[in-house]
Formats: sequence, C-alpha cells, structure tokens
Amino acid sequence: MSFRLLRAGLFGFGAAPVPFHKGVAHEIVGNRFFPTSRYMLLSFALASSIALASTSNAFAHCFVGARFFPATLATDDPCVADEMSLPTVSWSKTADMPPASEWDISGEISKRITENFGVSIGQTWTQIRQPDGTVTAGFQDLETTFQYQVLKDPSHELALLAGVIVDWGNTGANNSGLGTSYSLVTPTFYFGQGFGELPETLSWARPFAVTGQVGYQIPTSNFDFTQSVFIPQQLVYGASLQYSMPYLKSEVIDLQLPDFINHLIPIVEATFTTPVANNFGNSYTTTGTINPGVIWVGSYFQVGLEATIPINRESGSGVGVLGQLHLYLDDMFPRTVGQPLFGGTSAAPRKLTF
Amino acid sequence: MRISTFAIAAVLTVIASAAAEAHAFLDHAEPRVGSTVPTAPRELSLTYTQNLEPAFSTVAVTDANGMRVDLGKPSFNGTVMRVGLRPLSPGTYRVRWHVLSVDTHTTEGNFTFHVGKE
Repeated sequence: MSFRLLRAGLFGFGAAPVPFHKGVAHEIVGNRFFPTSRYMLLSFALASSIALASTSNAFAHCFVGARFFPATLATDDPCVADEMSLPTVSWSKTADMPPASEWDISGEISKRITENFGVSIGQTWTQIRQPDGTVTAGFQDLETTFQYQVLKDPSHELALLAGVIVDWGNTGANNSGLGTSYSLVTPTFYFGQGFGELPETLSWARPFAVTGQVGYQIPTSNFDFTQSVFIPQQLVYGASLQYSMPYLKSEVIDLQLPDFINHLIPIVEATFTTPVANNFGNSYTTTGTINPGVIWVGSYFQVGLEATIPINRESGSGVGVLGQLHLYLDDMFPRTVGQPLFGGTSAAPRKLTF
Repeated sequence: MRISTFAIAAVLTVIASAAAEAHAFLDHAEPRVGSTVPTAPRELSLTYTQNLEPAFSTVAVTDANGMRVDLGKPSFNGTVMRVGLRPLSPGTYRVRWHVLSVDTHTTEGNFTFHVGKE
C-alpha cells in the first residue's frame, strides 16, 4: 500500500477447492468398508485429503488471534489477504498558490499467491482543476505491491509484514504530469499490534490497536529531464491508531449498544513523506496528512470515511475527504477467489484443546 | 455518469452474488461479555454471526485458578454453541472459544464474566 494511491486492499483470483461437506466423514464411517479394495482405500485417502484441505484454517483478511485489523484507507494493514478496494475516492486542495482542486479515484485488488505471499495491483485516476478552470486528468502510474507475511502471533495480537511497492514508469499519463517516465521502488515494512494483553484494570483500553509502515522510496532515475529537477529518495511512513468497538463488545464488555455502533472502528491515520537524499535544490520539508475518521466493518465489506488534514502548507490547503468501499473477497467467495492460488493454507484443521 | 453507474452496479452485483458465509464473529453471549450475574448460571451460551462446524469448534470456561468449570463437550445448533457449567461460586470466570464457520474460516476469542454482587 502506498501513500501515492491511498489504497488498502488485496487482490485475487484463487483456486477452486472442493467444497466442504459436513457429512462426508460420517457417511464414510457409516457405509460398509471393504479393506481389500485398493480403489476403496485410494478413494478414502483422496476423500480425506480433500476434506482436510477444504476445512483448513483460513484466517484470510487480517485476523490475528482475537484481533481484527481492518483495511486502513491511507496506509496498509499488516496482512496479506484476498481483498478489493473499489473505489477509494479522495478530494483535496493542492498546496499550489492559489490551490487547485484534486479528485483521486482508485481501485486495488489483492491476491494471495500462497498462504503468506500476496500481490496487489492498483490504479488511480486523477483530475486536477485549476482556479482558472483548466483541468488536467488522467491515470497515475500503475502500482504493484509484493508482500510476505513474516509473522502472525495470535497470543500477542502481533502481525509483521514485509513488502516491495513498485510504481511502474511510463504506465500513466506522462503528458499530463500525472505519470512519470521513471519507476519508484519502495521496500516497506508493516506492523500491527493489538493492546489485548493490557491488564484487567486497563480493560477499557484493550480495544486499541496500532498499525504502521515504513518504506524507503528509490526512483530508478536520479534526474527528471522533463522538469529539470532531481528526483529525491524519500522516506514514506505512516501509522494508525484505532479503537475497535467489535473487540470491545466481544472481548471486554457487551454494553448492549446499538448494532451499528458495535461495527464501528474509530481511527486516526497519519501519512508522511520526507526527502532524504538526492534532493539538491529542493526543500527537505516533511509533508503529510493526519486523517481522523471511522470504519464500519461488516461480514463481507467495510466502508471507511476520513478527513485529511495537511500537516503544513506544503502538504495541501484545507481539509480534504477520503472514502473507501472495501470488499472481503475471502469471505464473499471462500471456496474460489478467497483461497491462495497455491498450497492452500498451511495449518490442518484442528479442534483446540484448552 | 454511465461508467460510474455501471461500476456501482457491478460492485453491488458482486456483493449480492456472494455466498452467505463469512468469518464467525461472536454476536452475543449469555452471560454477557464482561457482565456480573447475581446467581451462578447453569449454562454458557455463545451466539455467532455464522453457522458453526461442530467438529472444529470448542469452548472452555475456567475459574480464577485456571481450573475448568465447564462440563466438557459443547452442544451446537446452527450459530449457537452451548456448554453446561458446574455450580459456580462467586468470582471471575474466563471463557475461551475457538470456532470454525462452515465456510472454513476460523475465529477465536476470550472474555470474562463475574458471579456475585455488582
């Protein structure tokens, strides 16, 4: 997930495992079994394998123990998953003087290739309207993200993710200045930490969680000959602080609040970009936004809405708006696109013993 | 306008065509999560947002010393998992659950309830 596209999803087309039938095992046990038949043995083994594969533990989108990290709007959640953000829409006033009005409409689809490795593809269409009525519009460069799930620790509600974001040059509207002739490569580290281990005396704070990401953006060219400027290497980083009402209800205390309230996750996101190298003649000022908002989480999708508040004059003019519809493909299509392409899930089904 | 209308219609169609299955969230519990009940309950009932797969779903209730106070094997009825409880004395009890919804997604959680005066 990059700050450039404000995306927060995961993409996918999956294998189509055999549907799980609850009664299969019992039917086999209940039927007469002929141990001398090689074919019957093979059939039994195959059926067992299919049943196991199709009931394997699938945490899919970002569940880590009792914690659910929602897809955040301006940064990325710390999990690979099968998800789609469509659309993500933002409106803001640029930092120009006088400021222009900018609309960004983006989509992103994310897909697990294996249980722990996923790929995302995102695209953003941008329209910038100057005060004199001049309009510039077109697509930004295509963005892909490759991510690997380093850790999911359910008992500590901790998730770690490593990834590389690539903005591919010459795939956007270069003539409009919205695309670039060079690519950007951003190795990025992501994390998520729930506060579920806080002591009972601080139980009210256990629904809190933080997520974040830190990336180092490297352009494939040092100099932009079109605009005659150096292309800086930049630190791109951000974080979110969220308070999960679903967690409060199911893990801490059921206050019998209205159902709508119990699906909300109030959140504050922050995104920053700081030039750190190859920035000759330009400002080293950090730019970014603080985004207070809320996410409504359902069983199959979530809806998020945030205000975007520039942290300084170089980051924009006035408060903007960011909204997103995000679909959980793994829940919508659990037996098809909601599965990893290869290997299924790593864990066999299990009944925990306490 | 036509494109945006088409896009919205496509998204709604995708949502509407999705199978009615998902992760099983704990919808409510009886005794309620974090509640204090004046008299000892004979049974714990957990209701989820999706149907459960009994073979891979379980629950345990322990007292402050970590000793099991449930009667063992839970019973299931669609979205509901129930387990009987031994006679409980006043105190705090922890519920730990782990369920598999029928679409193969697992979820887990834990919470406490209290027996005694508020």
